[in-house]
Amino acid sequence: MQAVTDEQLIQWVADGDASCLGTLFERHHRAVYRYCMQMTRSKAMSEDLVQEVFIRLLRHASSFRAEGTCKAWIFNIARNVTLDQLRKAGTDVHDLGEQGEENAREQLVDHRSSEQVAAGYQNLQLVERALAEIPAAAREVIWLGRFVFDDYEELARALGCTAGTARVRMHRAMEALHSTFLRMNGAPIDV
Amino acid sequence: MSDQHRPGVPFDRDDPAERQLWESLQDMPQPEPPPRMRRRFYDELDRLGRQPRSAQWREWLGLAGPRGFATAIGCVIVGVLVGVLLRNSEVERAELVALQAQVTDLNRNLILDRLENESASKRLLGVLDAAGVAQHDAEITRALLSRAVDDRVYSVRAAAIDAIGPRVSTPAVGQELMGLLEKSQSPIVQLALVDLVLRHGSARQIEELMQLSERGVLHPELQQYVKSAVWRDRT
Repeated sequence: MQAVTDEQLIQWVADGDASCLGTLFERHHRAVYRYCMQMTRSKAMSEDLVQEVFIRLLRHASSFRAEGTCKAWIFNIARNVTLDQLRKAGTDVHDLGEQGEENAREQLVDHRSSEQVAAGYQNLQLVERALAEIPAAAREVIWLGRFVFDDYEELARALGCTAGTARVRMHRAMEALHSTFLRMNGAPIDV
Repeated sequence: MSDQHRPGVPFDRDDPAERQLWESLQDMPQPEPPPRMRRRFYDELDRLGRQPRSAQWREWLGLAGPRGFATAIGCVIVGVLVGVLLRNSEVERAELVALQAQVTDLNRNLILDRLENESASKRLLGVLDAAGVAQHDAEITRALLSRAVDDRVYSVRAAAIDAIGPRVSTPAVGQELMGLLEKSQSPIVQLALVDLVLRHGSARQIEELMQLSERGVLHPELQQYVKSAVWRDRT
């Protein structure tokens, strides 16, 4: 439980206290960065995007409406900024270059035990590759639903759709991931 | 921290393989943002915090720094272009209107000059030119009527009558014609004008002609001529 909620902080930012944005940054910049990395596979682009997201928060703090959480709003902005950037760069997010992959791996910090690494290394590698290969729209819904949000209402706000649509998108995305994994591995993941 | 790994949204698929895939995602290593990103953000926040509101607005609107200079130059160029375009279109429109007026005036003077010219062939040309504009210009109508009733050369007179004929029923020409008929003392002129009205005039103009005849404005012989012509037409 946080002493001051994100919603209160963004309200203070809107009232002119820009320093409160620092607290929001500390709370969310890692998740935003990981989301951007997942979508762009570029370290430099992700850094720029995180910067842009939080500067936009500062500029548009007064337009935050308390219908959803501030976090969902932040990720909605992150999503718009990322998609804009990808469109501007003309990047086909399905076709990630080797440099992008290397950049992404360079940043990975493995928090797992050596036993886990030994047991699941191959599977994880394949899951990562499968995730990178599915369409960006499916990848983003899986990423946000798995690592950022824990209910469909908030996920939907971040995606800019209804909860029902978010649920359907998640099902389709998981099907896509599963079939891609099957194609790569030749068998379902070890159950 | 709120951005640490979360349990994720409820996974409600029955397929065990998909569920296992969903679970395995949890173990995926997460990239850590580089420390410089935090420094960069706080530097920017500090810079923005130090700026007065007006400077922030200038920055957000793209009016600060070298970009602002470019924006300002761009705005000036666009403004000047819009101004020049607007000004040019107004000037061109006014010039065009003035030019059209000059051409119309020149044409009108040329026609009047030809209608009064000593040379019969020039007067004939004037009659042909006047035919198209007579109904819009009272002075030309009068000059044309005058050629029709008292030009000394028959071909000019005939051409003028032909030119006026189809336009007799228009209010402008009809009015001039009736006025001339009332003022004219010569029975030959009156005959020419009466013929025009009888041949090309409207019912109202023929009625006016009858009234002129009854009031004794026409020559006595013409009064009978009008009466019998009207009677012949009506029967």
